[in-house]
Amino acid sequence: MLSLILGGVMLLYLGVGLLFLAAGLWASPPLDRWARGLLGAGLAAHSAALLGRWWESYHLALGHAPLTDFFAKLRLVILQAPLANFYESLVFFAWCLPFLAFLAFRRYLRDYLGTVVALAACLLLAYASLGGVDSRIKPLMPALKSNWLLIHVVTCFLGYAAFTLGFGMALLYLAQEKRPRPSLPPQPQLDRLLYQATIIGFLLLTLGILTGAVWAETAWGRYWSWDPKETWSLITWLIYATLLHARLVQGWQGRRIAWLAVAGFLAVLFTYFGVSFLLPGLHSYLT
Amino acid sequence: MSSFISNFRPLAWLWGQLTSIRLTVFLLLILAVDAVVGTLGLPGLYYTPWFLSPLSLLALNLLACLAHGLPQAIRKAARPFTGEMALTLPERGRFTWPPEVDAPALAAETLRRELGRPRQEVFGETQVLFSIRGRLRPLGPYLVHLGLVLILSGGVIGKFWGVEGRVLLHQGQVVGAFELDTPGKEQPLGFQVRLDRFQVRYYEGGGGTPQEFRSDLTFLQGGKDAAHAVCRVNEPVSFGGYTFYQSSYGAMPRGPILLKVSRGDKSQALELPFRRWAPLPGGEAQIMALRVEGNLQGYGPAVQLAYREGSRHPQVFWLPEKHPKLAEMPGDLRLTVAPLSFHYYSILQVKYDPGVWWVYGGFLLILPGLYLAFLRPFQRWAVVLGKGKEGRWEGRLLGASPRGREDFAARTDRLLTRLKGGGS
Repeated sequence: MLSLILGGVMLLYLGVGLLFLAAGLWASPPLDRWARGLLGAGLAAHSAALLGRWWESYHLALGHAPLTDFFAKLRLVILQAPLANFYESLVFFAWCLPFLAFLAFRRYLRDYLGTVVALAACLLLAYASLGGVDSRIKPLMPALKSNWLLIHVVTCFLGYAAFTLGFGMALLYLAQEKRPRPSLPPQPQLDRLLYQATIIGFLLLTLGILTGAVWAETAWGRYWSWDPKETWSLITWLIYATLLHARLVQGWQGRRIAWLAVAGFLAVLFTYFGVSFLLPGLHSYLT
Repeated sequence: MSSFISNFRPLAWLWGQLTSIRLTVFLLLILAVDAVVGTLGLPGLYYTPWFLSPLSLLALNLLACLAHGLPQAIRKAARPFTGEMALTLPERGRFTWPPEVDAPALAAETLRRELGRPRQEVFGETQVLFSIRGRLRPLGPYLVHLGLVLILSGGVIGKFWGVEGRVLLHQGQVVGAFELDTPGKEQPLGFQVRLDRFQVRYYEGGGGTPQEFRSDLTFLQGGKDAAHAVCRVNEPVSFGGYTFYQSSYGAMPRGPILLKVSRGDKSQALELPFRRWAPLPGGEAQIMALRVEGNLQGYGPAVQLAYREGSRHPQVFWLPEKHPKLAEMPGDLRLTVAPLSFHYYSILQVKYDPGVWWVYGGFLLILPGLYLAFLRPFQRWAVVLGKGKEGRWEGRLLGASPRGREDFAARTDRLLTRLKGGGS
C-alpha cells in the first residue's frame, strides 16, 4: 500500500518536473501555478506515506515490547521514526527536497528551479522503489535506540536537501554563463539563492555533525572515530566552509562560488552513497 | 603591541600570514585532501604529522584571527546607537499624515511591532524614534571560531590526558583493571567492577538482530559494594571518573563441543576442544571450533568451524545447531552438533576523557555563533518626525544594513506600508 503511494508520488514528481520545464520553456505562469499545486499535493501524499510507515514500524515495535505507560509509548514513537535504513533514508531525502523548497524558496519555486526540485525528488524515489533497495521494516538494533536518532538524521538530510537545491542553482548559474537565456532567473538572483541555500545547508549539516558527535559519545564513548561517514561529512563541511569564507571574507561571487557548490555537492553524494557502498564503517547498518 | 610588530618586519609578515584567509583556505584544502586519503586506505593518517601539523597550523590561524578581530568585534557590538547616529542613516521613504493622525504613536507602534520597543530622542522640533537589531551580529563568527578552538583543544586534552580501552567480563567475574587500546597494556581502575548478570534478548523473527543486551554491574570500593548500575547500549554508566559503555558481547562454550561426524555411511562422535585443532576421524583433515554464537541470523545457536586438509588453506563455515543442513560443509563431510552449552560475556568500552567537556563547550558556542552570524542581520532603523505646514506631521523612514539585502528590503516594505497605512 505505502509503496504503491510512493510509486504514485514518484510519477507525480516526474510529471511536475516536466510541467515546470514546460512552464520555463514557454514562460507560462499558469503552468507554473499548476505545477506548484501538484508538487504540493505530491508532498502531502509523500508525507502521508512517511507517517504511515512511521505508524507501521511503531506498531511492529509495540508487538515486540508491549507498553502501557504514555511516556514509554511516546519514546517508542520517537525511536521508530522511519529513518533507520537505506530505503527509509532515500524516501526521507526525497521528501526533504520539496519540503525545503516550499519552506525557504517558495517565491522562486518555478520554472527550472522547480524542475530541479521535482526531478531530484523523483530520482531518489525511483532509486528507493526500483533500485533493488530492501524496503522491509526491520526491528531496530540497540545502537540505533537513541533519542538522538531523529534529530541527527533529520538535520543531516535537510542539510543534504539544501545542498542539492544549491547544486541546482549553481547549475542554472553556470548554464546562464555559457549561454544567457532570458527565461532563466538572472545571475545575481541565482548567486544570492545559492548563497542562501548554502547557509541553510551549512547550519543543518553542522547541527547534524554535532548531534552525531554527542550521540556517538553516549553510544560508543567516542565523539569522533574517523569513521568514513564522519570523515566525509567533515570533508563536505570543509568545502562549504571554504565557500562561505571565500564569499564573506574574500568577496568571491558568481562562477567560482558556483563551482565550489558543485564540488560540495559531489562530496555530499559521496558522503551519502559512496561511503555507504564503498567504505564500510560504523554507519554500515544503512545498507 | 601593534607598534612593536610594525618595527619588526618579519613578525609583521608572519602575523599577516597567520591571520590571512588564504592560509585558512589552503589549510582547509590540505585537511580535506588528507581526510580523503585517510578514508581511502590510510586510516592511521589522522595521527601522523601529515594531518596533525596542518591541523595545528589551522588552530594557530584560528587563534590569530580571534586575537586580531575579536576586540574590534566586541567594540563594535558595544558601541551605543544614539539618536544622532540614527539621523545619519540613509533615507528609505517620506510621508505626510493628515492632522488627525498621531504620528509619534503610529511610528512607535510600527517600530515596536517589527523590532521591539524603540528608543526616542528629541532635537528641538524634531523627534527621532530608533531601533537597532542584530547588535551582537559581529560576535557571531568569533563565537564559532572560538568554539572550534575549544573542540580542537578538547581533542588534544583527550589524547594526552585521557585513557581509553575495554574490558571483557564473564558473569560473576571481578576486575580491577582494563586493557588499553595500545595492545598488551593494562590500566588499573582504582576500584573493582563485577558483572552480576548479562542478558541478551533477540527479536522474534528478527533474523538474529538483538533487541537488547545489558550488563548488571556492581562497583566495589575497598572490597565492598559501592554502587549498582545497569549498562546498556546508548546508556553508559560512570563510576570513579571512568565511563563504561556497553559496546558488544560474545559467547563462550562451557566445555568441549560435541560433534557427530559422518562421511559416507560411517558416523562417529567427536569431542572438540574450543579453539584447538583436532584430527577428524580416519584422515589427515583437522577441524577447530572458532566461535559460538547465540543466535545466528535467527537460526538459533551455532558454532563456527575451521576445516583444513594437510597444508591447504582452511575453510571456515557456520554450523547451526538446529539447522545443520544450512552449513556449507567441505566435500562429503556431514556434521551435526549436540545442543551447545555456552554463556555470554560482556564487552565494555572504558574511558576517561577530560576533553569531552571542552568539546561540548565548543558545540555550545558554535550554535549561538552560527545563529548570530547567519540568521541575525545587523540592521538600524529610525523614523524622524517633524511638524510641517498647517501643523501636519511629516516623517522620514531611515535605515541601513551592511548585509542581508533581501531581509532588509522586505522589512523596508513592511515598515513603509504600515507607516503609510496609518495615514490613509
